[in-house]
Amino acid sequence: MKRFRWQNIYLALVFLVLYIPIFYLIFYSFSQGHNMNHFSGFTWAHYQELFQDQRMIEIVLDTLLVALLSSLLATIIGLLGALVIHRVKKPMWKNTLLSLNNILMVSPDVIIGASFLIFFTFLGFKLGFGSVLLSHIAFSIPIVVLMVLPKLNEMNTSLVDAARDLGATQPQVFSRVVLPYIAPGIFAGFFMAFTYSLDDFAVTFFVTGNGFETLAVEIYARARQGISLEINALSALMFLFSLVLVAGYYVLNQYNSSKKGRKRRMEANHNR
Amino acid sequence: MKRAHGFYSVPYVLWLALFVIAPLVLIVYQSFFNISGQFTFDNYKLYLSSGTYLRMTLNSVWYALLITALTLLISYPTAYWLSQTKHKQLWLLLIILPTWINLLLKAYAFIGIFSQGGSVNRFLQFFGFGAHQLLFTNTSFILVAAYIEIPFMILPIFNAIDELKPSLLNASKDLGATNWQTFSKVVFPLTLDGVKAGVQAVFIPSLSLFMLTRLIGGNKVITLGTAIEEHFLVTQNWGMGSTIGVVLIIAMIAIMFLTGERKKRGR
Amino acid sequence: MAEPIITFQHVYKRYDDTVALGDIDFELEQGKFYTLLGPSGCGKTTILRILAGFTEASEGKVTFKGQQINRVPANQRQINTVFQDYALFPHLNVFDNVAFGLTLKRTPKKDIKRRVLEALKSVRLAGYEDREISELSGGQQQRVAIARAIVNEPQVLLLDEPLSALDAKLRTAMQVELRQLQRRLGITFLFVTHDQGEALAMSDEIFVMSDGKILQQGSPVDIYDEPINHFVADFIGESNIVKGRMVADYQVQFVGKQFECSDAGIPAHEPIEVVLRPEDLVLTDVAKGKLTVVVDTQVFRGNLYEILSHDADGNQWLIHAVHKAKVGQEVGIYFEPEDIHVMRFGESEEEFDARLEQYEGDD
Ligand SMILES: Nc1ncnc2c1ncn2[C@@H]1O[C@H](COP(=O)(O)OP(=O)(O)O)[C@@H](O)[C@H]1O
Ligand SMILES: [Mg+2]
Repeated sequence: MKRFRWQNIYLALVFLVLYIPIFYLIFYSFSQGHNMNHFSGFTWAHYQELFQDQRMIEIVLDTLLVALLSSLLATIIGLLGALVIHRVKKPMWKNTLLSLNNILMVSPDVIIGASFLIFFTFLGFKLGFGSVLLSHIAFSIPIVVLMVLPKLNEMNTSLVDAARDLGATQPQVFSRVVLPYIAPGIFAGFFMAFTYSLDDFAVTFFVTGNGFETLAVEIYARARQGISLEINALSALMFLFSLVLVAGYYVLNQYNSSKKGRKRRMEANHNR
Repeated sequence: MKRAHGFYSVPYVLWLALFVIAPLVLIVYQSFFNISGQFTFDNYKLYLSSGTYLRMTLNSVWYALLITALTLLISYPTAYWLSQTKHKQLWLLLIILPTWINLLLKAYAFIGIFSQGGSVNRFLQFFGFGAHQLLFTNTSFILVAAYIEIPFMILPIFNAIDELKPSLLNASKDLGATNWQTFSKVVFPLTLDGVKAGVQAVFIPSLSLFMLTRLIGGNKVITLGTAIEEHFLVTQNWGMGSTIGVVLIIAMIAIMFLTGERKKRGR
Repeated sequence: MAEPIITFQHVYKRYDDTVALGDIDFELEQGKFYTLLGPSGCGKTTILRILAGFTEASEGKVTFKGQQINRVPANQRQINTVFQDYALFPHLNVFDNVAFGLTLKRTPKKDIKRRVLEALKSVRLAGYEDREISELSGGQQQRVAIARAIVNEPQVLLLDEPLSALDAKLRTAMQVELRQLQRRLGITFLFVTHDQGEALAMSDEIFVMSDGKILQQGSPVDIYDEPINHFVADFIGESNIVKGRMVADYQVQFVGKQFECSDAGIPAHEPIEVVLRPEDLVLTDVAKGKLTVVVDTQVFRGNLYEILSHDADGNQWLIHAVHKAKVGQEVGIYFEPEDIHVMRFGESEEEFDARLEQYEGDD
């Protein structure tokens, strides 16, 4: 029993360390001062400042737009990619495709950023919204593939046979059996792609040029100039936004898997 | 059927060609050109002969090792004990949640925490240690990098531990192993793949976190990533930047080979 | 004889380096219950898959009502399948699973509802239409799979080991139900199993398979009583098989003695194998027995004693006896001449049938 207490203290410490910086930021977003050293009275001033910051609001909207568009397109291409890889039966080809797919997953951001920068420059592609969007689509595709592929592999081939047996044409098999089956994977892939895009700094930093900025790039620019509690206010809002997203995802996932959960429970009962 | 097959694979194959293969080829290609656009081996010669580049590379690898070791040290017990808690999935979600906060915001938080008048220094002063220059030191870089990478180490290890069948642990105890023997002879070997995945997920980014070195580490060029950013975006010497990029890619492949080798044999 | 609904003509199926089917040749008549019986890996599923249209024969002809269907896609065949793992769609409930095929054919809603409910009723699942698949037991899922197939009113129903996942009791019940269902619908069933008891209990006709070939075709009684070779005899039920020699027509020699038998048409002195079913062997006194054996082990099976014994030559004899014996005791075994079944080495099914016809005609 005593050992158990030590473990909990350790875990509590880890959680504290993980969350202190975040709450530290949020805490000072309500401070009247101008730095993060002394809390000098409560105020909403930094939030007001943030909401009047036309440039910041534009950047937030741009960031969300890039995230939404890139994750949508990445989901479509990634889904097609997963279908391609799933179709390939020769192990050698399959492994080659998978390795190529994963290159962008394991490459450091700087390499992706630098090589995309060379690529766009080589093609004479103008840096800006377009190059950022294309880059975000590009680095989000592999995660979508990795989310969808296990679902495809897990799907019993006899389901497809059964659908054909019952008279379904190839497109009907896809829309009525395969798509509903792998939907949770597609959904997870979309979600991951969305967060990848929101989270990215390094790649965007390389390929954004001068005209276009995302939130991460803007925060970097401001943070290099020192502390501004407007950024604290922004972090508090972003933290809230993440919480909502995670909660939403969690709830939807629960809903999706509730059928399976029931099944597992049934099996457990059955085995007893 | 064949034609339909070809049709729907076009976007993905195009992506593979344009955004995976072409950029890789281009970065290697670029590494053979000097700043005025002439073909040359000078970048590699300079890299291999100048002490600065080699020292910087060794430094970067050394820091990445320290960061990886530190995260592993903190993460393994965390993952292990987390897997024994009651609502482990919920706790795990709480571990992952901070990764949703943009990395730059977290770095920014540490600018406040580590600053001269910041809370860590006040804490030190309270115990009579006096204020220290914390920000813009290599130590602060390592600490913040470790902070950021911890969840990425916990996650694969947790998954590996979670996949362990309870019957294996029971079998081990049944055969007379103590708790420690069970851990060292059964649990740890079986979760080694998770550790390797975690090391992979932490080591490679640690070589390249240029924004952290800029914001926390005091603007010194101490990692491969910072060097690349410097050459591409500051001095505009893309050739040399690409050369360092190629070095980073080689380091990455080496790490993947080292940590991935056993897994493949096991399969 | 009526025109066969299905024929396989010299069908081969090869994968990269394995021959899954070698020269399969058979005919199925309308309205009968057929069973493919054989050990795992012998090619049973492959035959079903070729028939359903999931895979194509490498060689040979497959016909349906006289039309070659080798290249007709699965979704255009009047054949439906009950899969071994049921293959129920997890995202659809019971009703939608059963309605799947009808919906694709754009059957009017009202008809769909009527037919689905009817199909569910015929598999005794009335009232289950709103359940999720995950809320059903294995046996219920199995019935949904059957309902989903028969609701399309196929001419032929293929069933790939549909009962193998059920427990013993449910299995026996389902065997009876399936047989009744087949009679009621009057359509052809092609049933796959590796369980000889199941095959014997349900079928009009059995095809015994091994290694991609059909070894013997016949009614359950024929196959049980007159197995064509060692493999079939051994696979269908328990049997005592010993080597022997033909002495003359109706005279056979084994374990050093000569016995009267009911087989003929085999040249004298030809080496043969003799099958004696354990339930045909009767325990008696040593004096009255045709063979003398020593009891080695005895197991009580509820309805009989399973006695393992050996004779002086070391041959093992399995006896299903009504009364107990004593381990170590010397006993006699008695059997009738008709209980002896003689098998020739390497005799094909055609030769076997021809020989039977010839001497049965003699009688
Ligand atoms: N898709 C396939 N590729 C290669 N070999 C296969 C394939 N499907 C079946 N086989 C082989 O064909 C043989 C017959 O298989 P199957 O018809 O499934 O046997 P059964 O259903 O009687 O157990 C087996 O040896 C199996 O390994
Ligand atoms: Mg099979």
